[in-house]
Amino acid sequence: MSETEAEQTDARRIATEARDRVRFEEEALELADQVYRVARHLSGSREEAEDLVQETYARAFRSWRSFMPGTNLRAWLLRILTNLNIDRGRRRQRAPDVQSLEANDYYLADRLEERGGPISEEERVDERLSQDSIVDALSEVPHDFRDVLVLVDIGNFTYQDTAQILDIPIGTVMSRLHRARRILKRQLAEEAVDSV
Amino acid sequence: MCECDRCEQLLQSFLDRQLDEWERAEAEEHLVRCSYCRRRYVFEEKLRMYVRQSVVDEPMRPELKLKLAALRVEL
Repeated sequence: MSETEAEQTDARRIATEARDRVRFEEEALELADQVYRVARHLSGSREEAEDLVQETYARAFRSWRSFMPGTNLRAWLLRILTNLNIDRGRRRQRAPDVQSLEANDYYLADRLEERGGPISEEERVDERLSQDSIVDALSEVPHDFRDVLVLVDIGNFTYQDTAQILDIPIGTVMSRLHRARRILKRQLAEEAVDSV
Repeated sequence: MCECDRCEQLLQSFLDRQLDEWERAEAEEHLVRCSYCRRRYVFEEKLRMYVRQSVVDEPMRPELKLKLAALRVEL
């Protein structure tokens, strides 16, 4: 290969790489709303969520070569995000009271039932649940469990994708999800009963 | 195992839309017949709906979008 041919090959390679990178960045930016949504739920405040998203994108843009085209970019971005979130040590919440959680999976309904007679109609539970109470209750769910709940419920990820993002077995995804919902229901039950 | 136990086992995965067609049909069939499981299903579905809706009201600020675009590496 002559020197000119080698230069041309090199130039083509650089051009192809630049094109791939631009495409990667554009596709990643199109997902920003969804990434932010998940970040907002994993973080305590808007500011924290914004920091987390910026850090995620900075890292993603730096290491774009490690993304395999054709695989799930949203999952790849959220894996960076959840890892950063763990690194930042946002796990200062108290441990859940595991034992009482095992007692009853239908905790909210039971507590309301104790308080206000049988709930044959769902409206009664509904009346006592509000958007604010869900946000408050979610903030009480410890991070390990909340991450899974957020990815499945807010991120609409399959159990399989969630397992990949968090790098945990699928069985752990299911058990954490179950646990997260129990804690959520217990929190809601306490809020609902307190407010009666 | 009675049918309700089996339904309970399927319920969470059913609500998270993770079941295959066969399991889904099995769960649906039981839900049609069993008012206890149906009540649980409706309740759990509402809980998920509230969780999903609890973030809808706060979209990303346009400033953040601009900041993210600015993070792109110069060619």
